[in-house]
Amino acid sequence: MSIPHTASAHRQALLRRAAMAAIGALALAALAGGLVSGDYARFLAGSVAFTAITILSISILAGVCGIWSLGHTAFIAIGAYTSANLAAAGWPLEAILPVVAIAAAAVGYLLGVSAGRFSILYFGLLTLAVALSTGEVVGRFSDLTGGDNGLMVPPMKSLLLQRELLPADGPAVAVVLSTLVFILSDWVVTGTIGERWRAVKSQRIAASAIGLVPHRANANAFAFSAAIAAVGGVATALVVGFLDPIVFDLRSAIMLIVGSVVGGIGSFLGAVVGATFIVGVPEAGRAFKDVSAFALGAAMVLVLLVLPRGVAPTLADFLRYGWRRVRAPRATIGGSAAAQTVTQLTRRLMPACREPLRIENLSVAFGGLSVLQRMSLTVAPGETVGLIGPNGAGKTTLINVISGFVEHTGCDMLRFGDVDLLRGSVHARLGHGIGRTFQHAELFDELTIREMLLVAACQRSAGAAVAGLPAPEEIADAILDALKLRAVADALPEELPFGIRKVADIGRTLAAGARFVALDEPFSGLDAGEIAELRDILRSMKAAGVSILLIDHAVQEVLDITDRVVVLNFGTVLASGTPRDISDNADVQQAYFGRKAVRPDEAVHG
Amino acid sequence: MMGAASELLSLVVSGLASGSAYALLALGVVIIFRSTDAVNFAIGQTGVIALYLAGLLLTAGAPLWLVMVGAIIVGAGLGVVTERAFIRPLGHRKNFAFISLVVTIGLTFMLQALIGAVWGHPPRGFPPLVAGTMQIGDFAVAWNKIVATGVALACMGVVAFFFGRTPLGIAMRASAEDHFAARIVGLDANRISILAWSLGCGLATLAMFFLAAEQSLSSTLADHSLFRAFAGVFLGGLTSMPGAVLGGFAIGILDNLAGGYVSPNFRDTIVFGVIVVLLFLRPAGLLGTARKQRV
Repeated sequence: MSIPHTASAHRQALLRRAAMAAIGALALAALAGGLVSGDYARFLAGSVAFTAITILSISILAGVCGIWSLGHTAFIAIGAYTSANLAAAGWPLEAILPVVAIAAAAVGYLLGVSAGRFSILYFGLLTLAVALSTGEVVGRFSDLTGGDNGLMVPPMKSLLLQRELLPADGPAVAVVLSTLVFILSDWVVTGTIGERWRAVKSQRIAASAIGLVPHRANANAFAFSAAIAAVGGVATALVVGFLDPIVFDLRSAIMLIVGSVVGGIGSFLGAVVGATFIVGVPEAGRAFKDVSAFALGAAMVLVLLVLPRGVAPTLADFLRYGWRRVRAPRATIGGSAAAQTVTQLTRRLMPACREPLRIENLSVAFGGLSVLQRMSLTVAPGETVGLIGPNGAGKTTLINVISGFVEHTGCDMLRFGDVDLLRGSVHARLGHGIGRTFQHAELFDELTIREMLLVAACQRSAGAAVAGLPAPEEIADAILDALKLRAVADALPEELPFGIRKVADIGRTLAAGARFVALDEPFSGLDAGEIAELRDILRSMKAAGVSILLIDHAVQEVLDITDRVVVLNFGTVLASGTPRDISDNADVQQAYFGRKAVRPDEAVHG
Repeated sequence: MMGAASELLSLVVSGLASGSAYALLALGVVIIFRSTDAVNFAIGQTGVIALYLAGLLLTAGAPLWLVMVGAIIVGAGLGVVTERAFIRPLGHRKNFAFISLVVTIGLTFMLQALIGAVWGHPPRGFPPLVAGTMQIGDFAVAWNKIVATGVALACMGVVAFFFGRTPLGIAMRASAEDHFAARIVGLDANRISILAWSLGCGLATLAMFFLAAEQSLSSTLADHSLFRAFAGVFLGGLTSMPGAVLGGFAIGILDNLAGGYVSPNFRDTIVFGVIVVLLFLRPAGLLGTARKQRV
């Protein structure tokens, strides 16, 4: 499932997981060898282990999806109470784990589907509702939960150990479970699945333009996180041995969030740091209740003021870079030497278009403002159509309708070949062969350029299955070389100048392999070298037979490159014709410059 | 024996009374959020510690109305200090609203511990502004609740007048829409944040004043009502002041009806369940406006 990355990334991932296994083994050895002795110390170690699991479940969700959940105590409760009841019925631990994970994942999926509908804060309220009703449900079903009196966890059998687990085994089992959960989570989060989650987190819109389904990605992530939390619940039951409903109340939910923010959002090491923090600080000050509560609050405030990203990521950055600021290598782009490779690459990656795009009588209004009025447009297979017009003419709106982001308010026909685009969702567009770029590039903030290309390339094979295509990583590497992005392959978008981001956006469309591409102001914000590079890319896309709809204010570039130019003004087609016709058209000049064509000799006197 | 109509009336009236506290807290949260983009979770706890401090006046023999005014001034001042010491240093960073929420959760823990260390955790009695009960039909309502609702409504009226009619209030609303543009046209961001935080925390202190008289003063006095206030904020829309007030009152009534007619054991589930359903229908809240994403 996991994409084989570059060899070094692959090796790093293996090293990371080996380190996790080693830390787990060390902790286990410390418990078994009596280094951590005494019931209290062992209980604390076990508590850190199960808390690390539950913090990780919340932290992953926040880190890769940007979703915060107060409701994870519900999944922990599902894990803990189900395991206690199944253990009473004689189930072994190894059978209990998958059952609780699947049960929690199912509930989590349902919650996660709705996450996309709300902003972070509003979704937080939804999960708050879950947390509050968890307490009430636990109180109500006292047969299964013991209600407010709590529930003794009956002894559990283990198939692997071939014996009943003793209370003293709890901490060791929790350490083993947390090690396994950490390794599994690392595999998921850094793999293809995790890359999709991060793509959706940073750019829902651009993500759906390359065929990702944001609410499904959220739901999958939530289900995975819920399953982890439930395993954390089983570990809780094993370590604590007695389920007090207070463990699942709102305060615990808040503490888990505190732990993940203090440790570092999305950080694996941070989850352990956070767990040590929220277990350790109150325990250390047990004798002085107010002192420890105050220290807990003060530490939260201080960490966020001084170490904005949390303890673990700040520490990691410091170890890696010291006090130096991280600087991305400045890539140089441009030069026509690349033209040949770009043409070859485009021919390889982009299928020729065989379907016309037909729009008839399309109208769009925002509130009372009419943006497009019964406009019609056809793009023949393989044709390159330029769309020009003053600001507010409706150009971007037209692209947004074609790519499914904006609803029309009236339309007789919007078809791509046999596909009716009046129906169907945004993310289905790529499957039909329709791709787009964005005026502001809209790259995925948290994916490196290479990861972004990989995600797009994977979508291509999932969407439009074309025989004889190279593997996703080959596609990504070829694009990196042809567009001269190799030097910035491992950089994040925020580290890159705007021009390079725009080239990377085009690269994303190449990787996704659309045969109809809508380009929203690709030339804006580029320097001369980048413009030449882009010109080459567009020409080779054209040569490969891709249909192109090009919007830009760089009129000369549009006239140079297109077969036909359509001029929009106030939502209607003002003129349409060959670039030559259009450049001579007086009406166009009137609309564009607000005056009749001015000959140079007249301009001198003006 | 109470009639059905009378029982309903009783539930609604006492729901309105507790709703007035939620509405004041919610209004404070929204005023602060609109002006400075920060979510102040510590707003209730700020009110509680202001009450403990103003309680010193009470032991010194000051009349209760003076204690109320003193508490509001202290609460407002603490709000300004909070913004200066804990929120402004955060700077402008990604997820500012969320980070400010977590920071103020930490602050809540600190204030709660501080109260416990100085005054102890056991609840202590707090006198109502007006003692006794008023008879309405079959049932009695504490004067404290009626005065609380009245004072809350009056304050909301003043706030509405301030934001709707006075130049400064209108300027603050403009600033909420666009901080950058507001600074360009010469609005003093500093003055606006001071006003917003003192107003927000002052209103919260007022809510805590009446709540303390109804229950008793303790370090955890704000906990229960704060979550309801936040529910009211979300129900009404995080960006709408009238929405927050309506939301707060609606939660108060809903809470009482759920407890009275369905089951006291599932109050939270019902209240929050209803909100979640409403939010599914209107994701930005009843009166809130969604922030559109640019394509």
